[in-house]
Amino acid sequence: MKKIPLISFILIATITIISCSDVRRSPGRAYMPDMAYSRAYESYSVTTEEKDSLKRHDIFFSNLPVAGTIKRGEMFPFPLAIDKEGDTANYVASKQIINPITNLDSANMAEADRLFLVNCAICHGTKLDGNGPLYKGGDGPFAAKPATLVGDAKYEAMPAGQMFYSITYGKNKMGSYASQLDTRQRWMVIYYIKSKQAEAKGGTSNVADSTTKK
Amino acid sequence: MHYKLIAKRTFFSFFFFAFIALSNRLSAQDGKQLFQTNCASCHNPIKVVIGPALKGASERVPDKKLLHEWIHNNTAVLSSGNKYFNDLYSQYNKTPMNTFPNLSDADIDAILKYADSFQPPTSAPTAGGATATAPESDNSLLYGILTIILAVIMLTLLQVNSNLKKLSDDKEGIPAAEPIPFYRNKAYITFVILILFVIGGYFLVQAAIGLQRTKDYQPEQPIFYSHKVHAGINQISCLYCHGGAWESKQASVPSLNICMNCHMQISEYTGKDKLYREDGAEVDGTQEIQKLYSYTGWDPQSLKYTKPGKPVEWIKIHNLPDHVFFSHAQHVRAGKVQCQTCHGPIQQMNEVKQFADLSMGWCINCHRTTKVNFPDSTGNNGNKFYSIYEKFHKELKPGDSITVEKIGGTECQKCHY
Repeated sequence: MKKIPLISFILIATITIISCSDVRRSPGRAYMPDMAYSRAYESYSVTTEEKDSLKRHDIFFSNLPVAGTIKRGEMFPFPLAIDKEGDTANYVASKQIINPITNLDSANMAEADRLFLVNCAICHGTKLDGNGPLYKGGDGPFAAKPATLVGDAKYEAMPAGQMFYSITYGKNKMGSYASQLDTRQRWMVIYYIKSKQAEAKGGTSNVADSTTKK
Repeated sequence: MHYKLIAKRTFFSFFFFAFIALSNRLSAQDGKQLFQTNCASCHNPIKVVIGPALKGASERVPDKKLLHEWIHNNTAVLSSGNKYFNDLYSQYNKTPMNTFPNLSDADIDAILKYADSFQPPTSAPTAGGATATAPESDNSLLYGILTIILAVIMLTLLQVNSNLKKLSDDKEGIPAAEPIPFYRNKAYITFVILILFVIGGYFLVQAAIGLQRTKDYQPEQPIFYSHKVHAGINQISCLYCHGGAWESKQASVPSLNICMNCHMQISEYTGKDKLYREDGAEVDGTQEIQKLYSYTGWDPQSLKYTKPGKPVEWIKIHNLPDHVFFSHAQHVRAGKVQCQTCHGPIQQMNEVKQFADLSMGWCINCHRTTKVNFPDSTGNNGNKFYSIYEKFHKELKPGDSITVEKIGGTECQKCHY
């Protein structure tokens, strides 16, 4: 009978030790929470309710830019809107739009290369052969074959404006990249693709642009 | 003569069979090739992509001639008013199919044959998946047991020693002193207290320093997003989703449209390794992708956004106090620091865990040891951001290198203002 406290102590201790996990699911305590966690509105710290309450006080936090305005230093925006479902009028019309970037120096070309590798090569491949790590010749998780940008006559003949339409609004199974690349970056990537296509055909990489030979 | 004829016939029949077998293989091979160049951007053998899955297409359209006609020139078939194809057309959002006048009937048959014989790559989970995620066994338990055994031996030997001493004292007639039990022995008690004080003090100080630091913090996120699957196995660049790290102070959590760039198409997890949470619970990857669809309002059946989306409230792991300024762009773009330097082997993490303690000592240590990457003598490579320091750099002896500390990287105002 005297042993009951001892036994129960050992039992409780064992359970406590076993139930301890080394996975840390809680951030723990802070000395001064108002210094550790910002009182000011930081990115992603505002909930939908908070945003609504701010709106009631005429504070517009992280809204989209006012329609029709252009950021200083920003390129002239793409003049065509997205097509309605089942319509291709604007997609066809986009052929007429030429690439405002007609020449890139080596530093900007390196930047365009970087942008392509980060955003596009995952599907279209580092060699622009439409065989990136996500497709892997049909073995990857992505079921649709990405466009073969170099080596397919269809994409080599595609005008820059139509490429811009596809990158901006998405086409087939490709989503819109407008949130990842700004207007200038999109034109840079298109210039990069066009110069790679010209290079593969034996031309120099510094061709003016495909839009001239349309 | 008779034998010669038989031999000849055998030879030819063998040749014939070989030819048949070979040409069969060729056509299947060709089918795959043709499928990938012509059809694969809109069709998959077993999945709905933009158009329907092609496996079984020849059974769904028994009229072979019609099917060929459709593939050659689908607009003609549509305008002829064929009900099956017009229904199909409106079912797939009236997306026009390309015409393929160049494909011969044999080509089309080869493609359909490839699609019909297509087997999904088997994704049998490997046994390695489980063992790979099992926590590494550490030796501290073994060391603990050894310590206890050694302590017991030590105590026994001490006891034996004192007993022997007592025996020899008895023999020589020296009266033994009153034995004091060890728990009343002042030397023992002082020793134990001292040890407890040191150990307790150590843990107390560590806990006090660790307050507000969240190293190893690994919360359960609303969606089980595995960096191992995305950044590790599928080699997606970190900047694809966290583009802000290049441009701005915040690395930024991607908005859901970036997830949907790929997940419009990838609706199930087919990876080889099973997914596990850190505590060992298995996770169904496909289920987690469905969670993404419920947040975005995407309907994977009709392949359209049918409901309004709502944001995922991810739990922030890396938190710097409000009085510290930190810019990702400065480190990633100007300083060329790899993501893994601060975030650890993120491409191997199923659940993200805070790798560094983000303490000030940790920041300063790195600033003291990291060398500034100046442009070389040609003015290329290196980092042009630091060009204002170049003059001083050129005055230095070759071989000397400048750490971040030397260009003001440990000034208080750099981070606290």
